[in-house]
Amino acid sequence: MTHYDFEVTGSKVARCHIKVDMVNDNFLELIGEIIGPPDTAYDGGKFKLEINIPDTYPFNPPKVKFVTKIWHPNISSVTGAICLDILKDQWAAAMTLRTVLLSLQALLAAAEPDDPQDAVVAKQYKENRKTFTQTARHWTNVYANGPHRECELEKILEQAKNMGFDEHKARVALSSSDWNLERATESLLTS
Amino acid sequence: MASDTASGDKGSGPNESTETDNSMFECNICLDSARDAVVSMCGHLFCWQCLHQWLETRPNRQTCPVCKAGISKDKVVPIYGRGSTDQKDPREKLPPRPQGQRAEPEAQGGFPGFGFGDGGFHMSFGIGAFPFGIFASTFNFNDGRPGPPPAGSAQHQEEQVLSKFFLWVAVIFIIWLLLA
Ligand SMILES: [Zn+2]
Ligand SMILES: [Zn+2]
Repeated sequence: MTHYDFEVTGSKVARCHIKVDMVNDNFLELIGEIIGPPDTAYDGGKFKLEINIPDTYPFNPPKVKFVTKIWHPNISSVTGAICLDILKDQWAAAMTLRTVLLSLQALLAAAEPDDPQDAVVAKQYKENRKTFTQTARHWTNVYANGPHRECELEKILEQAKNMGFDEHKARVALSSSDWNLERATESLLTS
Repeated sequence: MASDTASGDKGSGPNESTETDNSMFECNICLDSARDAVVSMCGHLFCWQCLHQWLETRPNRQTCPVCKAGISKDKVVPIYGRGSTDQKDPREKLPPRPQGQRAEPEAQGGFPGFGFGDGGFHMSFGIGAFPFGIFASTFNFNDGRPGPPPAGSAQHQEEQVLSKFFLWVAVIFIIWLLLA
């Protein structure tokens, strides 16, 4: 039990803007939080993570997923599932929760669209980077309390909401259709 | 709900240098001071139990948990500190920690135990399986068998005569073979 008890403490952690909290005195269920790295679309956002420690830790990796909704090629915009090698086959027993959270922060700073978790996001990242960045920033602002608003996108979203669609569903539909209102409404009506 | 951002029972030590000194000898897996310590060829320290369990977890990808260098059970070196008697928990059904390998000190000087001894090298003629092994010659090293009889003794002279006699018989036989 000393492994992660120790690994997440220490002043270094605070400087890196990552932290881990326990959910009811249970060492096996933790809530992590990382701050979006500066100079990225996730800048300043607070992203909550659900961390489950398996019995075999640290010989097997912790199970981590995003609780906070995020628009990123390697993270599912629906489930928050993460595609990151160290959480799978590249895990090593000497890694700590600190390493994991720092790696996730690094993943926010440098996506790997060729190994995507969310195909729609990855496609947008590769083909329409500007829209991707705006969308990611908008999601960070709405779901992770990020400081940067995307007024242009908010206006389009407002239009969709006025048509009677649920805000989150409308956001997903618009984000997935490069903020083309027509295409988004179509997909909202057919689904 | 415990929030341990910058505080913790271990991490908030007043002097970080002390902590670093202690962690020098901590197992890279359990982060405790290493028990039954072993060190990998890449120089990383582990408890033998921890490393063994890691290698068991990933039988087809044996890499150092720290630097991912190739690693194997046979190539780790145990560390024996002063006063660290083998405190292995008998409940752990682990293969024993690998033994330290003790190289023999390098031998000094020539080649003791390898030589020709005193006159133990001699050649003898004899007639073997007639007629093909006439000149069967053997090299005898002095390997514990009785050496040749000392020169000048009666037995020696007798052997000389016999040797010459058989040599002549052989020569005559060959000549006869050639002429026939
Ligand atoms: Zn250990
Ligand atoms: Zn190593």
